[in-house]
Amino acid sequence: MYPTKYHKANSLQEAFELYKSSQDASFLSGGHTLLPVMKQGLAAPSDLIDLSFIDELRGIEVTPQTVVISSMTRHMEVASNNDVIRAVPCLAALAGSIGDRQVRFKGTIGGSLANNDPAADYTAGFLGLGGHVETNLRSIAAEEFFVSMFQTALKPGEIIKRVHLSIPKSAGYAKFRAAAARYSMVGVFVARTELGTRVAVTGAGQSGVYREKSLEAALNQNFDATSLEGIQISSQDLIEDMHASSLYRANLIKVLAKHAVLNMGGIVNLK
Amino acid sequence: MTSISLNVNGKSHDLEIEDNTLLVTALREHLGLTGTHVGCDTSQCGCCVVRLNGESVKSCTTLAIQANGGKVLTVEGLSVNGELHPLQKAFKDNHALQCGFCTPGMLMSALDLIESHEQVLTPEVVRHQMEGNLCRCTGYHNIVKAIVQASKDMKSSSLS
Amino acid sequence: MKDFVFNSIGQSLQRNEDERLITGKGRFTDDFSLPEQTWAWMVRSTHPHAWIKSIDTSAAMQMPGVLAVFTGKDCLNDQLNPIEHNPVPSTQYDVKLRGPNDSDIFLGYHHLLPFDKVRHVGQALAMVVARTRNEAFSAAQMVIVQYEELPTVMNSELAIKSDAPIVWDELPSNVLVDATFGDIQATEKAFEAAEHIVCFKSHVSRVTGVTMEPRACLGHYDPKTDRYTLFAGSGGAVRQKSELAKVLGVEADRLRVISHDVGGNFGTRNRAYVEFGLVLWASKKLGFPVKHRADRTESFLSDYQGRDLVTEVQLALNAKGKFLALKVDNLSNVGYCCVSLSPLSKGSGLVTGSYDIATATLRSRAVFTNTMATQAYRSSGRPEVTFAIERVIDRAARVLGIDRLELRRLNLVQTHQMPYTNAIGSSYDSGEYEENMNRILELSDWSNLDQRRQEAHARGKLLGAGFANYVESSIGSPKERAEIIVHPTQIEVIIGTQPAGQGHETSFAQVAADLLGVEFNRVFITLGDTDIVTAGGGTHSGRSLRHASAVIALAVEDLRALGVRHAAHFFNCKPEDVLYENGHFKSISSVNSVSWFDLSIQLANGEGPQSSLKELRVLRDNEMHTPVYPNGACVCEIEIDPETGGVDIKRYSAVDDVGRCINPLIVHGQTHGGIAQGVGQALWEECYLDQTSGQPIACSLMDYGMPRFDNLPSFKTEIVEVLSPTNPFGIKAGGEGGTTPALAVVMSAVEDALWPVCGPVDFDLPATPQKIWNALQRGKAH
Repeated sequence: MYPTKYHKANSLQEAFELYKSSQDASFLSGGHTLLPVMKQGLAAPSDLIDLSFIDELRGIEVTPQTVVISSMTRHMEVASNNDVIRAVPCLAALAGSIGDRQVRFKGTIGGSLANNDPAADYTAGFLGLGGHVETNLRSIAAEEFFVSMFQTALKPGEIIKRVHLSIPKSAGYAKFRAAAARYSMVGVFVARTELGTRVAVTGAGQSGVYREKSLEAALNQNFDATSLEGIQISSQDLIEDMHASSLYRANLIKVLAKHAVLNMGGIVNLK
Repeated sequence: MTSISLNVNGKSHDLEIEDNTLLVTALREHLGLTGTHVGCDTSQCGCCVVRLNGESVKSCTTLAIQANGGKVLTVEGLSVNGELHPLQKAFKDNHALQCGFCTPGMLMSALDLIESHEQVLTPEVVRHQMEGNLCRCTGYHNIVKAIVQASKDMKSSSLS
Repeated sequence: MKDFVFNSIGQSLQRNEDERLITGKGRFTDDFSLPEQTWAWMVRSTHPHAWIKSIDTSAAMQMPGVLAVFTGKDCLNDQLNPIEHNPVPSTQYDVKLRGPNDSDIFLGYHHLLPFDKVRHVGQALAMVVARTRNEAFSAAQMVIVQYEELPTVMNSELAIKSDAPIVWDELPSNVLVDATFGDIQATEKAFEAAEHIVCFKSHVSRVTGVTMEPRACLGHYDPKTDRYTLFAGSGGAVRQKSELAKVLGVEADRLRVISHDVGGNFGTRNRAYVEFGLVLWASKKLGFPVKHRADRTESFLSDYQGRDLVTEVQLALNAKGKFLALKVDNLSNVGYCCVSLSPLSKGSGLVTGSYDIATATLRSRAVFTNTMATQAYRSSGRPEVTFAIERVIDRAARVLGIDRLELRRLNLVQTHQMPYTNAIGSSYDSGEYEENMNRILELSDWSNLDQRRQEAHARGKLLGAGFANYVESSIGSPKERAEIIVHPTQIEVIIGTQPAGQGHETSFAQVAADLLGVEFNRVFITLGDTDIVTAGGGTHSGRSLRHASAVIALAVEDLRALGVRHAAHFFNCKPEDVLYENGHFKSISSVNSVSWFDLSIQLANGEGPQSSLKELRVLRDNEMHTPVYPNGACVCEIEIDPETGGVDIKRYSAVDDVGRCINPLIVHGQTHGGIAQGVGQALWEECYLDQTSGQPIACSLMDYGMPRFDNLPSFKTEIVEVLSPTNPFGIKAGGEGGTTPALAVVMSAVEDALWPVCGPVDFDLPATPQKIWNALQRGKAH
């Protein structure tokens, strides 16, 4: 790892000031994406600004319409929060399925969304449920938040304060994990909302998480696994790599959507 | 160089470290506690797992400075007054280690797993929750047995 | 095994090693530090094949903390020698490989750092030494290498072609080994007369050991004693000492190698690494100890890798299914230089597997490519050939319409045929193969398979059951040395094996304790420090317990003779009047007896005999060439989810004949671990190379799939003990039988599951969900 200077930020304002006065700073939350990348020498921020001790960035609040998770809330906390479990059980289960136990003690929703890994689970949950991200500068709707693989609409120095996730009528998540990395090779999040069905797909799209319109249209017609049968998912914009072809991913999208629909209210982890 | 303090296995230490020093490096090289191991560079193998402020963390993916002022428990702190911890004893009874390199991380992960579950663990729960720890020697069979046994021993001893 | 009692042998005793390992007091290489030690970081080639035009170290030298940057030119100037690996197995019974046209085998040169060309991605071509590891890393990024790219070849079948890019200019082609064995005429005749000929071809994938402890080394030169010390995990400290001494150009006694706790070997540590020589050399040049610890990525790139064999087998049968003859063509990818030919050689001896086949021919070839060097990996060569024979038999069963178990029974080597010499000349010492089959079918509940298959089908899953017999060989370095010292309260046994988890400190103590007639906890085993262990064969190929027990038994005989003379002095009688029984000596005229420890205390008190019998201590060498043949059978039951191609292993059962089992707990553990490594290769593991660019892609645990807690089942393993007539204890070996049939049995299960939809499996290992799903789509389309 290259040398770096560490700062523990005690407030959001302090974090922002530190960022502006640094040469090339990165924000540090759970560290389980940033630190491995720094260890491999692929990233070398001059300064690390640790957000995880900022009180106002911790906490979960559930209102009748939304689950509001502050950005430094860890996956373990979301997974075991009774209010979230009651309001959107699938979201709690999703958080409980990320990485492994030790990752869940450190990883945060803010870090996950800001990183926009093309195979992350939270991105599918957020885009699937809909809602907005509240930063220190503004609000960004879920539809505008994800730009492309590893890219979001966040400006340099912009910090996610809270994630507002709309509570659906019901939601389900199904994933099939890659053997090595244990990230979702494909993950499909299905939510039934007042405005119709939302189907968010992670792990498959070349630009990262996206909504699969063909499946949404079919489920809006008839919310049933059978209505997915005739759908052809195009493999054109899907990822092709050593682990899976785009055709295979297209197949997984359909299969996982079906499992999500058949198991609304929970999570399906296919072996 | 930055000064930090760590309470490790009940003892307080003042250390001078670089900001980019990993917690595992501070433990191994600054404090000479070589029981915690480094097995990979993608935070996937679990050989480096310790308990930090009551939580199970990978010490290779934590900067020492992030742990400043905190409490760390490593494998060296498991046995008390020379008495093996029930987990250590269960590992020995069940031949749950061969080369021993993954073992400290296994023990620390298992400790957290057992203590965070009210019920005795089943093999299914163990297999699912221990996925962050890799072993190349044992095929996991005996480690599962050991952790299940330890969870029984620890639950029954906490009742008595 | 005439006159002593088995108290410890055969018992599932808990291990002596465990106490330190479960309390964090293990002594792995990176746990050692020396005052003022410096750190090395290697600069590695990013090209698979290229001239090194220049290496600019000037920027790196300016970086903070840097002491030196060394290149291949520096090694040349200091006349460092390449590592001589002696890759051709030299024991009496190993199959004799030769170069093309019966020439001597050209091995390539394994220089510590190359001065002319790089020949694989990841090859070290410079070493930075700095005060801290981070500083060495930062400086290494500043080393600028200019390459002139050369054409590359990665795949072995392409490398044997006449127009393939040449890896070593010293050879006209890339083929270093081309030898044919067996009776060509008789085999041809048998094939001509055969009713059926069934073929099978497969490329057994390349994998890597992934020892949980990444390799590491710490080198130190002491000018006061003019001696070097190397801390490094190895598969045999004695071997590495003599090899590295030759590299440095010094006498072997100038070097001390220390391998204490080793975090897994599986073959990857059987040969010295360039960093070991480099840190020793650098420590003398710089006047500081030098340490290197590989990253996991570095391990994936530059650990010695395993397998990578293209095997083509043809089986000739008569109408009733009797195996008449076998033709095999094996092509081994040794990588950029030849480090070990053990996989090709060991496999060669076992191509007929557990079956009585009258005649066979085998062509064994090895080829250079622009990839990392391969060498022995868990059961070196045997899983590959077991895969070939068992899979072709599965296919033959389908072709002939005979049940695959019946076809095997019909052709098994029978117990009464033992010792059995196969068509390649390997003499199987002992075994009851049909008993193994009967036992595994019971253990795996084979008879209720159809019921489970239907039940799985009702859940939308495809159930598959795989079956495999195996026989494997354990030969290994023929020489071993034991020293036994009786201390006042403990007996020390010094031995030259090198465990990395196999429990030698326990099983050897069990053997010694029973031989000496003492309690198990009175014996301790010393290993791994060449200043104490003066000779020994290391650990590989399942050799350790067999060789160690044999030489310890001989040493105990010598020690008894010595003990008798000490006891004679004690009782003040003639040696002929001393009786020995179960660890105690007495004179024929006395009632009292003395133990080994009494005699040792007498010596310590200065009351020993006045002659040259200063210590109760012996040293004994032994040499054994005769191989043994562990054997067994296994069954694997899987369910495939046709929607995803995902595989769920429901059951895995194994029966293993290990000869006499010293410690069942340890042997079961070895079987479990061996199974895991075999299943890993069958389903997830692969050193995946991009064929166009030559770049290894699976260079971290993010891309290299591993056996884990949640993708393996619990196992049903049973030990069988058919004593081998070849060594005093009847030991075969228990370390590799778990892996040997695993590739075959998993693929057999996959094919069994897919056959109704796809017919024969048309893809190679690993059987990933993607490949299985593709096969199902193709099958459905027809």
